[in-house]
Amino acid sequence: MRARDIMEPVQETLSPSESLRDAVKKMRVARRGNGIGVKGLIVVDEDSNPVGMLSMHDILRAIMPSYLSLSELGEFTWDGMLEQMCRKVADRKVADIMSREVITVPEDAPLMECAELMVNHNLHRIPVVDSSSKVVGMIYVRDLYHAIVRALPGEEE
Amino acid sequence: MSHEAASASQPFVMDTAFWTATTIFVMAYAVIISEKVHKTVVAIFAAALMLILKILHQHEAFHVEQFGVDWNVIFLLISMMTIINLMKPTGFFEYIAIKSAKIGRGEPIRILVIFAIVTAVLSALLDNVTTVLLLAPVTLLIADALEVDPIPFLIAEVLASNIGGTATLIGDPPNIMIASKAKLNFMDFIYHLTPVVIVIMVVFIFVIKIVFGRKLKTKEELKQRVMQMNEREAIKDPLMLKKSLFVLALVLLGFVFHGILHYEPATVALFGAGLLLLLSGTHEPHHVLAEVEWPTIFFFIGLFIIVGGVVKVGLIKWMSMKVLTLTEGNLFATSMIVMWFSAIASAIVDNIPYVATMNPLIIDMARQIWPHETGLALLQHPELMPLWWSLALGACLGGNGSPIGASANVIVVGMAERAGRPISFMKFVLYGAPITVMTVLISMIYVWLRYYLLG
Repeated sequence: MRARDIMEPVQETLSPSESLRDAVKKMRVARRGNGIGVKGLIVVDEDSNPVGMLSMHDILRAIMPSYLSLSELGEFTWDGMLEQMCRKVADRKVADIMSREVITVPEDAPLMECAELMVNHNLHRIPVVDSSSKVVGMIYVRDLYHAIVRALPGEEE
Repeated sequence: MSHEAASASQPFVMDTAFWTATTIFVMAYAVIISEKVHKTVVAIFAAALMLILKILHQHEAFHVEQFGVDWNVIFLLISMMTIINLMKPTGFFEYIAIKSAKIGRGEPIRILVIFAIVTAVLSALLDNVTTVLLLAPVTLLIADALEVDPIPFLIAEVLASNIGGTATLIGDPPNIMIASKAKLNFMDFIYHLTPVVIVIMVVFIFVIKIVFGRKLKTKEELKQRVMQMNEREAIKDPLMLKKSLFVLALVLLGFVFHGILHYEPATVALFGAGLLLLLSGTHEPHHVLAEVEWPTIFFFIGLFIIVGGVVKVGLIKWMSMKVLTLTEGNLFATSMIVMWFSAIASAIVDNIPYVATMNPLIIDMARQIWPHETGLALLQHPELMPLWWSLALGACLGGNGSPIGASANVIVVGMAERAGRPISFMKFVLYGAPITVMTVLISMIYVWLRYYLLG
């Protein structure tokens, strides 16, 4: 099997100029092909080329002040700090907080390539692109996991 | 000593070697200032050119004090960095910062003043970059807790760090370099620079209280956030902290007595680094050693060789003759010019290459004024001493003049930007330049009073 055989359609995308507030709203209602909620969305430019990825983890990083990642000061934070920081970053642009390095796979990529990328780059989802690098689908960890379940000996139906 | 005597009488001619070395030197400094290529890369490449074009022999670059690498500076820096790297993870600096904020009882202006003093003291004992790198994150956290603008805190800290660093031999790289070249010891700096730095700090605190005092207001309930922080939670490794403080105290004691005991500062620091590495029981010293700022170390190594090249061909001697002609041999005028020129130069360019060049220049100047003196009698000639102090004060305090004047400034400006509160070039200059002028003015009065009027 190849990437195109297990990928799911992308129903919702983000634009780099959107605010974090709007992105979060979109992410809340966005669904994958089978109705499961998403934990990350692809960011595409006007020509639907992928320019970034915004995941829940990116949003966590965005609301965390930069100095907390420089120093282990977690024990000195206070009740209400998270909410305080959320108000500060609500209007920041998706472009500023997304992960810029988007690792994509072509439609005919073997599944092992997808597995390698997910493991070695700690990814949870990989956009699948066609020959003109437009996003045509998304492969989630769960899709790959299902492929593994199907492939394990004794699991054939 | 034979080298010094030999070079003093060495005739110099503006031959091919002279122009080759001068070209390498000027080009290297121009590229370093332009920031088109990383300064360390420039320094290493230009140093290699000095060797490959046979301006300097490798032996001179590696083993001759007058022309080559100053290993005293190199090992002092590496050793101090190693000690700090071992100490960082203990949480000591975070503890100090949180404790300071609580001593300030959550009152912003009081915290700002305490932070400035703490930064100055730590910068005098450790390097400035490490100090601000460790204190700035806590500062940003405290400012968020009190919901006040962090910029006044960051600016006060970085200015205090450059002021504090001026006070001791180990506080700032220019002092380390000057001490090694002029064979000055730790206590010389305590006697001659610490008093004026204390005066400067008092005036500085007074000024920042007036400038920032009215802007910083917080609410009572926000102060509670700071008061509820438990600084003890910052200590991650109490045993290692005890070991670190023991070694640090030992090293400081060693610095105090190194002159009397006839140890170079690098010997003291290397012993401290070796001892703390041993006490830490680490099986992976490569982590600690990898964190030494090798680009800075190699920048120094490269610069020493580049400067050694132009010393050998006589460019520095020629420059020193020009300075003496300009000041007509008046040492008071020379020291004032050195101080102000150093301050301006250090605000604009890196003070490390500047001091690397000025050190041999001052020595060459001394040789022309006192041709019959050698060794310590020449390097520490009573009339020459104010020049060394003027160079140190100008080069260290000048770092406050612009956001690129000192490495600590660059670090803090970068952190402020990442925290979403950028400090623009002009904003920094707005605070930094007047403070530089004020501190250099105080230093000028001090040098004049102590060494010319009363001396």
